[in-house]
Amino acid sequence: MTTTTQFKVLEQNHPRVDAYEKVTGRATYASDVYLPGMLACKLLPSTRNHARIVSIDTSAAAALPGVRCVITGTDFPDIRFGSGALRDRYVMPREVVNFVGEPVAAVAADDEATAQEAIDLIKVEYEDIPSVVNPLAAMGEGAASVHPDLESYEGYGFTLGHNVSTLLDADRGDVEQAFRDADVVVEDVYRSQGINQGFLEPMACVADVEPSGRLVIYASTQGPYQIRAGLAAVLEIPVSRIRVVPMELGGGFGAKLRLAFEAFPALLAMRTGRPVKLVNTREEVFTMNGPRLPVTNYIRSGVMNDGTIVAREAYTIFDVGAYLGAGPNSGIGHGIGAYRIPNFRLRSYGVYTNKIYVGSYRASGVADMTFAVESHMDHIAHQIGMDAYDLRLHNALREGDVSVSGAVVPSNGLIETLEAIKEKIDWPRQLEDGHGLGLALCEWRSGSGPSTAAISVNDDGTVSLLTGSTDISGSDTSLAAIAAEALGIPMGSVVVAKRDTDMAPYTGQSGGSRVVYSQGTAVQRAAEETVQKLIALAAERLGVPEDALGCEDGRVYVMDNEPQGLTFAQLAAASITSRGGPIIGTASLSSMPYTPVFAAQAAEVKVDRGTGQVKVLRYIQAQDVGVAINPMAVEGQLDGGVVQGIGRALTEDQQFDPDTGAVRNPSFASYLMPLAIDLPESEVVLIKVPAEDGPFGARAVAEPPGFGPPAAIANAVYDAVGVRVKQLPLSGERVLAALNGDYDDIPFDVEALRLAEGII
Amino acid sequence: MKQPLTLNINGESRLLLVEPFYSLLDCLRDDASLTGSKKGCDEGDCGACTVLMDGKPVTSCLVLAHSAHGSEITTIEGLADVDGLSPVQRAFVEHGGLQCGFCIPGLIMSATGFLQDNPDPTEEDVRFAIGGNLCRCTGYSRVIDAIMAAAAEMRASA
Amino acid sequence: MARFDYLEPHSVDEALQMLAEHGDKTRLVAGSTDFLVRWRTGVWRPESVVCMQHVPGLDYINWNPDDGLSIGAMASVQDIELNTEVRSRYPALAAGATSFAGVQVRNLATVAGNICNASPAGDTLPALLAYNAQCRIIGPSGERSLPLDELFVGPGRTALAAGEILTEIRLPPPAPNTGGLYIKHSPRGAMDISAVGVASVVSLNDDGTCASARIALGSVAPTPLRAYGAEGRLVSQTPDAANIAEAARLASQSCNPIADVRSGADYRREMVRVLTERTLQHGVATAGDTPSFDDIRRLAVQTAW
Ligand SMILES: Cc1cc2nc3c(=O)[nH]c(=O)nc-3n(C[C@H](O)[C@H](O)[C@H](O)COP(=O)(O)OP(=O)(O)OC[C@H]3O[C@@H](n4cnc5c(N)ncnc54)[C@H](O)[C@@H]3O)c2cc1C
Ligand code: FES
Ligand code: FES
Repeated sequence: MTTTTQFKVLEQNHPRVDAYEKVTGRATYASDVYLPGMLACKLLPSTRNHARIVSIDTSAAAALPGVRCVITGTDFPDIRFGSGALRDRYVMPREVVNFVGEPVAAVAADDEATAQEAIDLIKVEYEDIPSVVNPLAAMGEGAASVHPDLESYEGYGFTLGHNVSTLLDADRGDVEQAFRDADVVVEDVYRSQGINQGFLEPMACVADVEPSGRLVIYASTQGPYQIRAGLAAVLEIPVSRIRVVPMELGGGFGAKLRLAFEAFPALLAMRTGRPVKLVNTREEVFTMNGPRLPVTNYIRSGVMNDGTIVAREAYTIFDVGAYLGAGPNSGIGHGIGAYRIPNFRLRSYGVYTNKIYVGSYRASGVADMTFAVESHMDHIAHQIGMDAYDLRLHNALREGDVSVSGAVVPSNGLIETLEAIKEKIDWPRQLEDGHGLGLALCEWRSGSGPSTAAISVNDDGTVSLLTGSTDISGSDTSLAAIAAEALGIPMGSVVVAKRDTDMAPYTGQSGGSRVVYSQGTAVQRAAEETVQKLIALAAERLGVPEDALGCEDGRVYVMDNEPQGLTFAQLAAASITSRGGPIIGTASLSSMPYTPVFAAQAAEVKVDRGTGQVKVLRYIQAQDVGVAINPMAVEGQLDGGVVQGIGRALTEDQQFDPDTGAVRNPSFASYLMPLAIDLPESEVVLIKVPAEDGPFGARAVAEPPGFGPPAAIANAVYDAVGVRVKQLPLSGERVLAALNGDYDDIPFDVEALRLAEGII
Repeated sequence: MKQPLTLNINGESRLLLVEPFYSLLDCLRDDASLTGSKKGCDEGDCGACTVLMDGKPVTSCLVLAHSAHGSEITTIEGLADVDGLSPVQRAFVEHGGLQCGFCIPGLIMSATGFLQDNPDPTEEDVRFAIGGNLCRCTGYSRVIDAIMAAAAEMRASA
Repeated sequence: MARFDYLEPHSVDEALQMLAEHGDKTRLVAGSTDFLVRWRTGVWRPESVVCMQHVPGLDYINWNPDDGLSIGAMASVQDIELNTEVRSRYPALAAGATSFAGVQVRNLATVAGNICNASPAGDTLPALLAYNAQCRIIGPSGERSLPLDELFVGPGRTALAAGEILTEIRLPPPAPNTGGLYIKHSPRGAMDISAVGVASVVSLNDDGTCASARIALGSVAPTPLRAYGAEGRLVSQTPDAANIAEAARLASQSCNPIADVRSGADYRREMVRVLTERTLQHGVATAGDTPSFDDIRRLAVQTAW
């Protein structure tokens, strides 16, 4: 199914608006900011995973020539902050450290080498406190408490058990009865690994204090307003005293949504009156800033012999590390996947441990859930002797079904994505020994949240577009395309303004698949308002009623007499002296309706029976994008997302020391993200069932591509060699162990969790 | 203490004052104000800092700045001239071979060095040639398309 | 990040003098790829470095039928990869070079540095061992020669005395009817430290029996090592599937791997068996042929056969 609408700008390839700057090396990232008199900041990481700070001796560091200021946790106001409602952390620990790597002191010095020398001179005396690293152990009786005073924290509410930060639940129907009625019950436990977001640009920030005393932050961020709010909170200054300038963003994928380390250079700049720059080393990125942590998933289904899934129970344990850095996990609703399952009980626990805190990464938690749910689907298919494709098709959500959240599923392209994949990979198909095919179905929703846009018409008939969202993955280009389409002008006539928090209207973070969908809707509405104002002005000047006018190709004209009209440039000139004044169209919105995004994916793999290694020969994805705002960018998003998923499936594995929780592989040499030679050619099918909401029918695109690969590849491995590996990554070592029959299922005491809730 | 160092960068002779322990990357960014080369890891693992030394791609974070005298150094800033982008740069723009862009200077330098010696590569050759460049955003597909297209264009105009 | 001074000799003699003068407070650097990473992580904290980049005449790779291959101390890993004599006569070494990092690092890294760094995971080392490399060493008390096998004494430790410089690596000319391969086993196809690396070089007699077999293993012991027991199992034997399998089994027994973030010890041992088998089979199958570089490249880093 394709759209019939004729677009003038959308559905066509447009090079990014920032492409020229990026290919010439002129794009300015935060680390490229050099200010006169700038100092360098370095951080001292904690060497303990749970300890009281007995003392910090900074005297030798402070005395080193070239050192301008040294700060520790007690230099900050005694205020806790958090990523969500629960305020569980200090920006720099005051009394207790909770993970190895947590920054406990910061230095500003004339240059980096001096700052580092000073860091090495700081002496910290620690007194160890009992710690816990394994989340399953942390939930048990007698485990050490990560936050003994949790109950006194602001925002504490939904906790259960001393290390459980959050418990989310979703229930429908009579689950126990449905399981009793089922012909077959299938049960699995899956585990997915720690994952680093892997953005290429380390976090960086330059803090400066203006003569007026205002703090200016040049940041590498997806959320300038969130940094502003976070800084205001932890420094106890009003937001109006802070200006955040988002620089070019070298990747974030969720890791740069919130306040990270900006407070350190900020306070150092306030103390010294000089600009202070902090650029994290890659090791610091791995050991200080929250990655995704391992997830254990218990999943059970009741199935009828015809393949109908009647019941689902899922218990998900999210390790959240030392702090709830990513807010309550969003994985919960994905326990039923893209399927209509009438009875379910879904639980997800966020469990504190003494390791680096959990962070956000591309629809945090959903990829973990998808691995479990979609591997489990194949397990069900094999148990009841049904084709894995047919099982998915049979149970797939359709328009009018009710989603987990209770929203009615609007029209969508789920079935079309499945059909496209089936055709493209030629399913089912007998392959040579060691080769196999696997499927996965992914679901997500388009994101909403506060969105604003302002469009002003320039003298020459071009427009300037102002939004508060930072550019991620070409979103500026897409927003420009939406504006151009709505205004009926070419892409080249839209200038996307560089902006900061002083200048642009408040906007939510750039993340969670919300920019093009929500922000794009705001842009579309602002453009529509601009057109209305242009028409109103033209009506006034031409002396015709507004409804006699059309707007096309940068011109407002009389529909019955096309030569009669005014160009945008003429109208801009006229507006200067008009009653309404210069033309600006604006729009604000906050929530958008539920718009699902579906994708079907298929992998063809080869398994090396000698080494257990898996090679992906083909990877195909079909995704319902609604409308391709900028096909080149949409496909680019799908390409990139799938590769992150392939990394998650095969090689990426953030490991933690079982005793100390310390990150064991804090470098790109040991945390293995895919390289060009590891990958098959990208194969993408765009399905276009326009969304009922969203700009011109576009849906969000960025997240689902990364969800499918772990399950699709695991399913293909099963198809190839008949073993099911339930733990990520699917390393050669694990697959070979499975081939040799010495691969153990993951232990999981679901009874204890049911009992805790009084379910028998 | 900083020591004088004369480097030939992008066809210009530059006299700089550089710490003896500085890498070429730090020297380019901090001392020569050429911030196009990026520091993604400072460990040789990501390729974002790739520059050409005498035409060969190298990770500038692994080169001692003071050892680089006498070599012709080309950075991303040295590719485009007043007439416009180099064929490789142009191909990256046209084929959408970039997203966040942080890896792009390195990828373009790797590709530029590679195509000088391998004007007619296979796709597999290209994959090996950028085997030392990490990109987290693009999935490499469009990057490879761009490099193949640039090769074709350079052959056509050679 | 301790500061250091930069010293630049312009001849080997001058380098020797500088090393003698500054003793253990200085460190020789060649391509500086290992050096800069270790310095940044604080493992090495010299007060100065003696940088060999501007010592002329050390970046050669020469071949002649009598002496075989000689590699100067400043020849880069990329020079090895591109060298046509290496590709045709020492394919296992070409495989080791091509499996090594990415081209940007290969352009900097020297083979001599790979040797002197003495990491058990050094990718050129198994092939150099399997080709019976000899090291030419110059030091304060003159020049000496040492088989590579005797150079490695522990992880990161060599038999080089203080102030000594490795100036040349020599590989004898291969016997006729020789084939070989190095396979690097790692999760990723490039830019990865090998979890296991195996090089095998086999020479056949006219009757098809094995004249010699040399097998060298990387990443499975404190140093790269020869699997002498496995080699002995093949000499004078027909290198058929059963004999190769048995040799591979012996090789896997001869190593002593550890577990780390990359792999468990048992898996590593098993990989030694698999890779020994594959490299031997390939060596036998290609003995006397000139393998195509594309094949060498693909096989060297193949993640799944
Ligand atoms: C990103 C990255 C990827 C890498 N990938 C690989 C890989 O895939 N495979 C692999 O094997 N290695 C790899 N390495 C390690 C490293 O590149 C190699 O060990 C390289 O060969 C070292 O050579 P160099 O010239 O850079 O040595 P340097 O760093 O200059 O020196 C290394 C050590 O050897 C000593 N030394 C050097 N030359 C001499 C000499 N002539 N005489 C006496 N002592 C000497 C130095 O004093 C020093 O102790 C990688 C390193 C990095 C940073
Ligand atoms: S910064 Fe040099 S390779 Fe990453
Ligand atoms: S474009 Fe972002 S890392 Fe390559």
